[in-house]
Amino acid sequence: MTDRDCERLRAVADELALGILPGQERAEAIAHLDRCPACREHVEQLTLVADGLLSLLPDSEPPAGFETRVTDGLRLNRPARRRRPRAGVAVAAATAIALGFGFGGWAVGTAIEGTSAPSSPRSEPSGSEHELLEASLLTVDHRPVGRIFAYTGSPGWVYMSVDLGPGWSGSDSRPADESGSEDETAGSREAYPEAGEISCRLERTDGTSVHIGEFPLDDAGRGHWGAPTRVAPDTVSGARLLAADGSVLATAHFAAQQNR
Amino acid sequence: MIPRGTGGIRSARFAVSTGMRRLGLPLGRLSDEALLAGLATGAPEVALAFVRRFQRMVFGIAVAVVDDPQLAEDIAQQTFERAWRHAQVYDSRRGSVKTWLATIAHNLAIDAVRARNATPVSPEDLDALLGVVTRTPEQWALADDAASRIRAAVAGLPPQQARAVVMAGIYGMTARQISEFEGIPLGTAKTRIRTAMGKLRTVLGPERADHD
Ligand SMILES: [Zn+2]
Repeated sequence: MTDRDCERLRAVADELALGILPGQERAEAIAHLDRCPACREHVEQLTLVADGLLSLLPDSEPPAGFETRVTDGLRLNRPARRRRPRAGVAVAAATAIALGFGFGGWAVGTAIEGTSAPSSPRSEPSGSEHELLEASLLTVDHRPVGRIFAYTGSPGWVYMSVDLGPGWSGSDSRPADESGSEDETAGSREAYPEAGEISCRLERTDGTSVHIGEFPLDDAGRGHWGAPTRVAPDTVSGARLLAADGSVLATAHFAAQQNR
Repeated sequence: MIPRGTGGIRSARFAVSTGMRRLGLPLGRLSDEALLAGLATGAPEVALAFVRRFQRMVFGIAVAVVDDPQLAEDIAQQTFERAWRHAQVYDSRRGSVKTWLATIAHNLAIDAVRARNATPVSPEDLDALLGVVTRTPEQWALADDAASRIRAAVAGLPPQQARAVVMAGIYGMTARQISEFEGIPLGTAKTRIRTAMGKLRTVLGPERADHD
């Protein structure tokens, strides 16, 4: 890199930050930023101005039904990703970080994703360090009846969707002691839910568990529920759903960290 | 449970909000980052809360740029799809969820305008938008956040520079398009953009630390 390169970059830095630099010039500018921290810093500042311009646009109410159309369009209740980012996503993240100038940079990064591999990603991990744990909810006879997610960031939260089928509260469920590992937490019975509701406990690796709440299921045995709760990533091991009589309806085990 | 007779799903949704309310912390009060993380789970209620929180901003950007509600809705929808797919790439150390989403929406809107292959904006619409982005009602005059300072700074620019920076920054017009639109040499258009950006940058100075 030479001063002349930096001079050339500075001449187009504003247009780059505003996202209006035509293709070839932009590619050259980005290549320079990738190896010049000073110019990167300069463009980062200009990108904040570009972001600031967008913040001046007034909010506007979308047409009726918009939120439903959006959520219907997403393939919800199927995780959008594996627990670990896969190669493609990791490359996109690395590209953005390599460019290193904020979300204008993120946008530029995705725009060139696939046409040029990142040459020297910085050493920071991509994304946040917070984990999103997920696991299947299984009955004691290993029938899948839902999914549970636990977010270990701050504030953490747990979310689950359950479909136990009709008759879930009746004779289908088995008493807790038949599942083999449920009697270790003496004193946990005070948290049993009322009839028609199920309760959820988070389990820890040391064998203890903590009650996090209860929620009703409909007549078909379906429900979704979420609650804010602290989720310690290194000690949480799974979850358990209990019926009003204390019987175990389903359990979930989060895979060990770094394992998938 | 809920007086709309659609059965199971509705009542299940109701179950969620009841549960959340009982704990005194509805989804609506979660941080933007936690909601974005929830979006990545594919959890319907979290996704709905996320869309509700940001849809007016996202649609506002899209409709301002493309000036076509139908197209703007498509863009806004794509914005949320993209956020959902890329939630993993988001890194809070690089800026707010809001800024991240705004950038996605804006890029999609600019792409749509460019694909339309017509002049991105009419002179009347440009004047109207300039009025909107520089309007400073009294209740905002005392605010000292970054947006208010940028707003005041844009309002204080010479008119041709304000036009140039809005054409570039909002409508995504290149320096060449701006020169044609204004009937000025390319070099002049570039100079107007650069001078305006230089002035706007100075008002953001103290905010820098927040973004590192
Ligand atoms: Zn340089």
